[in-house]
Amino acid sequence: MKLAKCALMVTLAAMSLWTVITASASAETLGDPAAWRNDIPQQPAAVIVRNATIWTSGPAGRLEGADLLVRNGKVSAVGIGLRAPPGAVEIDATGKHVTPGLVDAHSHAAITGGVNEGTHITTAEVRIADVLDAESVNLYRQLAGGLTTANLMHGSANSIGGQTAIIKLRWGSPPEELLLKGAYPGIKFALGENPKQSNWDVDERRYPQTRGGVEQAIRERFAAALDYRRALEEHRTSRVRNLVPPRRDLQLEAILEILDGQRGIQSHSYRADEIIMLMRIAEDFGFRVQCFQHVLEGYKVADELAAHGAGASAFSDWWAYKFEVIDAIPYNGAIMWSRDVVVSFNSDSSELARRMNLEAAKAVRYGGVPEDKALEFVTINPAIQLGIQDRVGSLETGKDADFVIWSGDPLSSYSIVEQTWVDGRKYFDRTDDLARRQAVSAERAALLARARSFQEKSDDEDDEAEADEGGAAEPVAMARQEVVR
Amino acid sequence: MKRARALAPLAPLAVIAATGCLLLSGVAFARTTAYVGATVHPVSSPPIENATLLVEDGQITGVGSDLEIPAGAETVDLAGRHLYPGFVHPLSVLGLTEISSVRGTRDYSEIGDVNSDVRAEVAFNADSELLPVAMSGGILTAHVVPTGGVFRGTSAAIRLEGWNWEDMTLSSSVGAHLEYPRLRPPSRGSDPPSEKEIKERKDEALKIITSTLDDARAYLKAIAAADSGSGPRPSFDAKLAALAPVLAGDMSLFLYADEREQIESALDWARDEEFSDVILVTGPDAAYLADRLAEDNIRVLLNGVHRLPERSWEPYDTPFTAAKRLHDAGVEFCIGDGGGGSKAPNVRNLPFHAATAAAFGLPKDVALRSITLSAAEFLGIEDRVGSLEVGKDATFIATNGDPLEVKTRILRAWIGGDEIDFSLDRQRRLYRKYLNRPQPGADSSPSLEGIREKG
Repeated sequence: MKLAKCALMVTLAAMSLWTVITASASAETLGDPAAWRNDIPQQPAAVIVRNATIWTSGPAGRLEGADLLVRNGKVSAVGIGLRAPPGAVEIDATGKHVTPGLVDAHSHAAITGGVNEGTHITTAEVRIADVLDAESVNLYRQLAGGLTTANLMHGSANSIGGQTAIIKLRWGSPPEELLLKGAYPGIKFALGENPKQSNWDVDERRYPQTRGGVEQAIRERFAAALDYRRALEEHRTSRVRNLVPPRRDLQLEAILEILDGQRGIQSHSYRADEIIMLMRIAEDFGFRVQCFQHVLEGYKVADELAAHGAGASAFSDWWAYKFEVIDAIPYNGAIMWSRDVVVSFNSDSSELARRMNLEAAKAVRYGGVPEDKALEFVTINPAIQLGIQDRVGSLETGKDADFVIWSGDPLSSYSIVEQTWVDGRKYFDRTDDLARRQAVSAERAALLARARSFQEKSDDEDDEAEADEGGAAEPVAMARQEVVR
Repeated sequence: MKRARALAPLAPLAVIAATGCLLLSGVAFARTTAYVGATVHPVSSPPIENATLLVEDGQITGVGSDLEIPAGAETVDLAGRHLYPGFVHPLSVLGLTEISSVRGTRDYSEIGDVNSDVRAEVAFNADSELLPVAMSGGILTAHVVPTGGVFRGTSAAIRLEGWNWEDMTLSSSVGAHLEYPRLRPPSRGSDPPSEKEIKERKDEALKIITSTLDDARAYLKAIAAADSGSGPRPSFDAKLAALAPVLAGDMSLFLYADEREQIESALDWARDEEFSDVILVTGPDAAYLADRLAEDNIRVLLNGVHRLPERSWEPYDTPFTAAKRLHDAGVEFCIGDGGGGSKAPNVRNLPFHAATAAAFGLPKDVALRSITLSAAEFLGIEDRVGSLEVGKDATFIATNGDPLEVKTRILRAWIGGDEIDFSLDRQRRLYRKYLNRPQPGADSSPSLEGIREKG
């Protein structure tokens, strides 16, 4: 009995710990608050990282013994023997490697309340930006893997899923400040087994149930968008006064943006046939598919992809989990790359997004892509695919100072991230992380000791009053109040 | 009966044929091959540079740098290469599935709670397309396990090359598989269930386990009584009879428990039930209990390093450091990839789970051992595979470097001395086909210098 009560109390105390951490409790009993607060990191006026192997993912390639100079959150210079302004934060990176912050072109992290608005075959009007979960701890975990930018998208339950959101992993910021402002807008499309509901039971089937139906469903929406525009135009230019205007259609507005080249399609796809199909729809309507996602048979139509100008954001080596990926091969990236397609490897997984560098290494393993080009699969190439290459993806003068300091070769299984910087602010530092663990566990011990002291008091009272099972509830509640205050 | 009689006149012929086969096989297999010039990594001992690996009749007969190559031996020059034992996958449904989303290709998850009689090896598809891909990735032996129910059945250790499951099975009945009930819902942040709720939940779930084991013990006792003539013979019960070896301690109990309290409860239960040979199939939470696991001599199959922390407040690298924490406490462990239908096509990523553990503090040699010799020991097949030692099967891979590095390529592989034909790998076949697709406007050979399989 005593043991059970104690266990309960410990559990409650541990539960409260997180509440305490987020509720800015008083410092006197809880250790050093700086150890657990998530303030936005400082942006030093200047930072210089010295004597590293720098993988620029830009025209300068990979530089040995090089310096990276950052000023006011932007890359100021990359080169040998740079001079830093007085007061610059100096980081000795001898023996370390520095890369651009990694970019994930396919993520579902930090989205709250589900990723699929799967009710209709087209839901172009819904927006990921409205449902960002800035407090998702996966943002921090992914920073700890060197990721700094992610393209958050809907799932693939319907052919047109909704509007994407490109974020920077500014852990601790409110949702609107995660967004990469000015990024080229995107929209998620999906082809194949998922939009045709092949692999799960649904209460009621909806159109389409075939790839042919998917093709027509998409064409119909583009045609409808043009009709909508014509109706708007007719209303605008009509000489008849007081005509009721066409009802505003947010879905078709988004689709019109695609037709106007103002919004890029990111299309979930697997098979060669459907990849060609969507490119031909786009060509018929006079625009270009920005990027195919997964695109696991892209290697079969690499020349077609290159001719159309679509990017290819693939899984490195996943296959055989559905029938439509039976022909997926890990050489996909290498073949497409060799035929001048802009290729990236994506995560589609909050776990995999923590080690995108090793996904890039698979382009070396399977097909022998040169190492600096392989790293580009998770840096500049996804940035190009998302239309944000002027801001992120490489270490070049004028770009955002998003970079990662690695313990060694970023393509090595044994290397780990030591620091991750976004906008010239250090958002992750393994040394600080380890120190913070110490502080948190000391704090936890203090809290538990305190909870136990209440337990002892309560036991004394129990002994006197022979209280029933509920006897411990009050002291526990007191303990909670105490620590939460 | 009728059939046997009909065959009887042919029996002498059969004997002659069999003798001929033996003689022929004697000629065919009494060959010695010397693999020379490579750095050999036996795993059981430090690497040997410029070493010779001698193989006779599919078995290793010598490993060393100063071996004399027998006259008449075939020599295979592997200068610049590194030889490692093939990886031993400790827990997968390889061969029991083709495409996990296609129901007709799933043979790993039987319906019902008590499937103790289900045997993994009998449903193993020797021609699964997944096998050549696994072998190209260095996985040459796999522990194939059923995954359905509470009592899930028995598992087998299988070499991935062969004609059918009978000649591929290294060991049937490696273990009996039992899922211990989870005590808490896997939700994060919600109110935890009360102690009372946990107890009720546990009792309910344990009911199936305890009643089945009680039934099995009673059944076996009745059989023994019948055997000694002191009781009536009970009617045959396959599910109960199948539990005899694990109850007798002749077979390992693979006990599945992932969450901390679940693990503790499972260990208490296994101790009370007096199971002596327990392998805990588990996740990073096991590292919280490392001291107890070491003390109780519980072996741990850490089923996946590439996982997210279970709880939001845990350090980001909690799953990555679990192996190191187990190792530091002296727990005997091996590393898996999570197993199940979705992981089966990509068992080739097993070495990278071990590599991540090494990146976060596990010694590299221990990481390598965790997917070779340690795994073989867990499966009781360490006399056959898992290291390059005299007397073991010549089941090994040739690489251009450390196979825990993603960048490293596995160039060749042998199982029992026979080289695996990598061209049978569907993925390499498709690669070659589309690599050679003519490119419009380009010369006959596109700009693919450097993109070759055997770089």
